[in-house]
Amino acid sequence: MTPEQNANPMPTHSLDDIERLGVYQVYTGTGTGTGFLIDATHLLTNCHVVQPYREVAVEMRDRSRIIGRVRRIHPHRDLAIVELARSVDGEVLALSDGEQLKPKQGVHILGFPVGLPLSLTEGVISHARQLLDEQYFLQTDAAINPGNSGGPMLDDQRRIIAVTTCKLNAADAVGFGIPIGDVRRFIDEFRAQSVAFGVQCPACEELIDRAVRYCPSCGSDLEANHDFGEYFETPEAHPLVGFVERALAGANIDPVLARHGSHNWSFHVGSAPIKIWCCCSEHLNFSSPMAQVGNRGLNELFKYLLSEQHAPFSFDLVGSTVRLNLVVHITDVFAPNEHEHLAARVRQFIEKADATDNLLITEYGCQPAPETQTDYLKGGDHGS
Amino acid sequence: MSIASLQCPQPIRRRLTIAPRDYARRDRAIESFEAGDYLTAVQETLCYLLPGAGAPVFADGKFCFVQGSARVRVHLDGDELALTTALMSLTPEAQSTAALRYVLTRLSATGQLYQPRLHEDTITLEFRERLSLLHPAKLAEVLQRMAMESDSNDGWLAQRFGVDAPDREPVAELDEAEFARALEIWNTHWTSVNELMLESRRRRSVRFLDALGSYAANQVRYSLPLFGSVRATLNESADAYTDKDENPNKRDSALAKCIKEMRQVPVEELRRCLGHAQHAINPLHEGTPSLLTSMLGAGHRMQTTGELRSAGRSLEAALELIADYLYLLADHSWPSEVEAALRTGLDLISGKPWREAADVLWNHANQTARFFGSHGERDRDDDDGADDDVVRYDA
Repeated sequence: MTPEQNANPMPTHSLDDIERLGVYQVYTGTGTGTGFLIDATHLLTNCHVVQPYREVAVEMRDRSRIIGRVRRIHPHRDLAIVELARSVDGEVLALSDGEQLKPKQGVHILGFPVGLPLSLTEGVISHARQLLDEQYFLQTDAAINPGNSGGPMLDDQRRIIAVTTCKLNAADAVGFGIPIGDVRRFIDEFRAQSVAFGVQCPACEELIDRAVRYCPSCGSDLEANHDFGEYFETPEAHPLVGFVERALAGANIDPVLARHGSHNWSFHVGSAPIKIWCCCSEHLNFSSPMAQVGNRGLNELFKYLLSEQHAPFSFDLVGSTVRLNLVVHITDVFAPNEHEHLAARVRQFIEKADATDNLLITEYGCQPAPETQTDYLKGGDHGS
Repeated sequence: MSIASLQCPQPIRRRLTIAPRDYARRDRAIESFEAGDYLTAVQETLCYLLPGAGAPVFADGKFCFVQGSARVRVHLDGDELALTTALMSLTPEAQSTAALRYVLTRLSATGQLYQPRLHEDTITLEFRERLSLLHPAKLAEVLQRMAMESDSNDGWLAQRFGVDAPDREPVAELDEAEFARALEIWNTHWTSVNELMLESRRRRSVRFLDALGSYAANQVRYSLPLFGSVRATLNESADAYTDKDENPNKRDSALAKCIKEMRQVPVEELRRCLGHAQHAINPLHEGTPSLLTSMLGAGHRMQTTGELRSAGRSLEAALELIADYLYLLADHSWPSEVEAALRTGLDLISGKPWREAADVLWNHANQTARFFGSHGERDRDDDDGADDDVVRYDA
């Protein structure tokens, strides 16, 4: 062994295969974040990732999503525990024993930065116990981006030493994690309680299971720094969100599972990927990137795509990807008498997307789009 | 420095004679829609947006208006309103696959309510909606954008893909004297831009490239009534070389390519693409006092131009000012006295040496912004009995 190898010992546990680790992407109506398994049915993440929702979507490696119910939140320490609708088989990472951490010690951060697939970023501990806003954090220079929140920070032995929470925007490479001691205490307290949903008092950390002004234990004014009552209320949805989610429910799509950040939804129906988003203040777009054009028979394909029979839907081409589109004007959202009609239009769009990708592939020589779920295509081997 | 001055000729493009919009009608349209009187809402929206067309009567369920070379047909079909405008017809000789791909890639899109549709061999832009889902804001958006899209694509599609352009409104040709003058403006302009391009490359200044790109595009837009394929090609190039987010080297190349292409446009093609079109909907943005203030008034923009001038960099200062005047005139409609004031500025410096042009136009810009800009002297004059036009402008 060379002196250099002695100075930087190889990790005992490999991070080569991160895909099998129990680290998953969490989706809500305000954004996305990361969560990791603390056992087969519970995920730990940041409070700010799940708030203000009591139900979130958790995406598995095969891109299927399951519902997660928020059981505990600790707004002050920015932690939350989510109970999954079913057990999952990702590897549960061990929590560190909380031994002394030192500057320059390696840090490995797992998460879904800016919505990308599970990624690993690395750095070192810049400060093991940095005081910020009256709380201690583990400070690191490893890259932290939106979407990393709630993910695990690992040491070289692949043990969780902190939970990613934030970074300083005005500085380079100054990120923070919630120390493992606080995380371990939060988990232990959760396991010792049976309340369906509770919020921990920011002052004394006592569990509170209903909207109260003062902490029953320490008497702190709970409204002083947080809108505490809101943790126990269902948030009022923006009319646009309400419209989309009612329409999705009418098409037998669970809107919670479809949420993909603010005013964005994405899901699959059969083989077809569906995306819904607002491109501006005026248009709500429904789009299904369903197939990629081949090399032959393009004239006939293009004529089919432009034919009037598809109205009120339309096709367009982005590069070589064929998309089926529906555009709803924002003023329609504020015409409640027409919602039933528009919901039917959305339902037709979803049904047409699921049916048409197969047609384009079998009749017009198209290939599945990258996001097509080929297992659901009817007939033939369409590859992947 | 080989070029000593710029010519700013009187425009051949005619001043738009579009009546001002009556915003009360728009408000009435919204009130009618909210009260469930959908047909009145549609009619009020049409009257608001097409002030010169008179109240469209749907007795026979049909109405047509002209926007440049496009005819937009509006008709009632039961409880739905349909808008259509023909775009192109495929012919056996046309490059139909390429044309269809272009339509699917560039004209069909998310974020727009109208879409292209194929009927036998004809592509139309279409929009159809129930009256109860036709909020005036939605209808106005479709009317404006669909008409503009059809007007800006027809000649270009025909030229590039060899398709036919059916159901087009003829555009009045220029007479011989007008065309001779247009040709002179065209040739002089691109010769000047070419010389300034050499200067831009010598200076390697992004700021100079910004001003030159703006001048190159807006001088033509302001002075010549261009339409069809030449306008489409020029606009496509201008999108590239005026894009301030783009790499300056790419913008430089795009401008050089544009100059080369424009200088090679055959005379007969240019003649086919020049004419006086009618526009039912104002194709220009409405100029506002605050825009005048932000462009010509005291602020960062004019301060930096002033610094160039006082540092003896008269060419840059003059070019920036001329480009700004042309932008204001080419892209915006103004009350007649504002337009005349802006035009006067260009007349004062046309053919004048750079230093004199920079000094004169700098003073003129400050004066114009002071008088017509937001909170300008013009505002204070309004207090003692102004005419109707003045009231509309300051509103």
